[in-house]
Amino acid sequence: MFETVAQAVINGLLIGGIYALVSIGVTLIFGVVKIVNFAQGEFVMIGMYISFFLANQYGIDPLLSLFVTMPVLFVMGVLIQHFLIRRVLGPNDMPQIFLTFALSLLLLNLALMLFSANYRTVHTSYSDEAFHVGGLYIPEAKLIAFVVAMALSGLLWLFLHTTDLGKAMRAASQNRDVAMLMGINPNRVFCVALGIALALAGAAGSLLMPFYSAYPFVGQVFVLMAFVAVVLGTLGNVMGALIASLMMGIAESLGIQYVGADSGQIVVFAMLLLTLAFKPTGLGGGRAR
Amino acid sequence: MKNARKDSAGKITLSTLSRRQSRREFMIKTALAAGAFGAVPLRGWAADPVNIGALYPTTGSMAQIGVGCVAAAKLAVDMVNEAGGIKSLGGAKLNLIISDVQSDTTVTRTETDRLITGNKLSAIHGCYASALTLIASEVAERAKVPLITGSSSDQLNKGRTYTFTPFARASQFARAQLQMSKLVSDKPKVAVIFENTAFGTSTSNGLKELAPAEGVEIVMFEPYSAGFTDASPLINKVKSSGANTLFSVSYLNDLILIVRTVKQFGLNISINGGSGGFVIPDFYKNVGKLAEGLQGVAHWNHDVSEDAQKVNVEFKKRTGDFAFEYAGGLVAQTFMLADALERAASPDPQKVRAALSTLDVSSGYAAMAPGGKVKFGPDGKNIYGHPVGVQWQHGDLASIFPKEDARAPVMKI
Repeated sequence: MFETVAQAVINGLLIGGIYALVSIGVTLIFGVVKIVNFAQGEFVMIGMYISFFLANQYGIDPLLSLFVTMPVLFVMGVLIQHFLIRRVLGPNDMPQIFLTFALSLLLLNLALMLFSANYRTVHTSYSDEAFHVGGLYIPEAKLIAFVVAMALSGLLWLFLHTTDLGKAMRAASQNRDVAMLMGINPNRVFCVALGIALALAGAAGSLLMPFYSAYPFVGQVFVLMAFVAVVLGTLGNVMGALIASLMMGIAESLGIQYVGADSGQIVVFAMLLLTLAFKPTGLGGGRAR
Repeated sequence: MKNARKDSAGKITLSTLSRRQSRREFMIKTALAAGAFGAVPLRGWAADPVNIGALYPTTGSMAQIGVGCVAAAKLAVDMVNEAGGIKSLGGAKLNLIISDVQSDTTVTRTETDRLITGNKLSAIHGCYASALTLIASEVAERAKVPLITGSSSDQLNKGRTYTFTPFARASQFARAQLQMSKLVSDKPKVAVIFENTAFGTSTSNGLKELAPAEGVEIVMFEPYSAGFTDASPLINKVKSSGANTLFSVSYLNDLILIVRTVKQFGLNISINGGSGGFVIPDFYKNVGKLAEGLQGVAHWNHDVSEDAQKVNVEFKKRTGDFAFEYAGGLVAQTFMLADALERAASPDPQKVRAALSTLDVSSGYAAMAPGGKVKFGPDGKNIYGHPVGVQWQHGDLASIFPKEDARAPVMKI
């Protein structure tokens, strides 16, 4: 009994780490730039395909390809902010919504055209192995993904709290107008925010590759959970998104174990609705941190 | 036909004469000869080709298998044509007209309609995916064009007189799967997990209904949401159910995750992945060695007969992969059509239908099916049709069940 519960919690926590990487990106963009990036999942997909091709063509371990996917996606983020999002930032939300939504559809269909709908997997020595602790199983690939995800989240937290640029980003997310009055260059801050958010999505892609298949629609699977986590953890709150992601992973896993195997999402969305009913600003509190 | 030969003979005479005569006459006569040649329709030189329509999804989510089907359809037509075409029609060649149904039911309807109205078809085959075949067969039924298919939905045998299904039906797959569980354990305790859409629900319900009669105990019966991010919670549940056999009714991606997670959990359980995405080369490419020993069911396998093995070699040469169930089945179906055309001695679709309904073969490429015999009942079902149980062995699919179709011993894992 205890073993089953513990195993369910471990399973949930590990996948929650991946949700966290995706949702932190979404919440960072929302907090700083004040737009909802519907294409975040597609950047995870791009990260996965980059890792897949590096592994397939050059035999590079997907974990090492982090050092390729993160910079590539960082640059993509900067370019997207500079050439696309910057143009539609204004009092009207609709162009922003359609911009990221169009970007999502474009990337998805481009991937279908270029890579076809086939599933691609990478096999590493640790893909199918697990650590056995007592009667519990901790899959190696997922544990590595979780640890790296937490480390990246920690680095982001340090960056936001100790560097000038990070502080500027937090300032911009708390009050954009005042931040501008204080001499913060918004476009520069926005470019970095987009860059970091996409780099995290790319990292999620690389970390997923050893145990998940890449296919054009793969982003959609993760982005839904990410949006829930973002709302649950208070929009724009990085720490909130992180904690909410882990909670959701655990709730989903326990739901599958004890309610029914097709009710993982039911549990997660029930949790979301209950939270919104009693604490509409989310669990992270009303303030972006 | 006869005219053509006369004309050609006439032309030869004219040109021989012209050599001996003046240049002017030569010119006139050559012109006349050319005129005579031009007046003969080109097709008159050989028998009219027989048009066969092929409806497959070569784009969209079902494209993976659809593309393989088209490769097999082309191979089959080449085989028939190289063997001399349809002799009763003067050696007429089969002409394949391929149409992409884009993995979409609406497109399937319009494409089937377009294919039938735009071409003089003798027969159609397609679409591999039951959801699409059901629609194509409705359209073909109304247009009175025979359709032959490897799709397994039992629905295809209801209220149709132009649809022919030479291979095992969905309801037979469930029974075979249950019987196979006894290959591994005398007291099979089965966990059934299935994705919660029409495909998964109907297949798993079939398993549940038949289990008591087959003496198989089902200890877990769980639907799950297709496209999950993580299979471990589900496998954790399978583990706590105490099952020794796992039936997974899943699409390819979920199945890959499930198989990998079972390995990570170190769970000692025999897995039967059913049919479809489980018995295609891509499954092994994605899962690799973990696939070894896993069982499934198929309506065709490349080791069922010597002819099937020949087809497999040729298909491998063309595509690089072994002939999967739909590919091999499709070659057999094309030969069934050729057999019917031969006996009908007419490309007329209604006469082809009549000839198909009296088809009775037990040798040659047309009989390449588990059991080796094809004869259609009034509902278009092959009365000898049954599935074959397969197992992944050394990167290949080996037939292991039932006994008379087994070509390799069961590999214990």
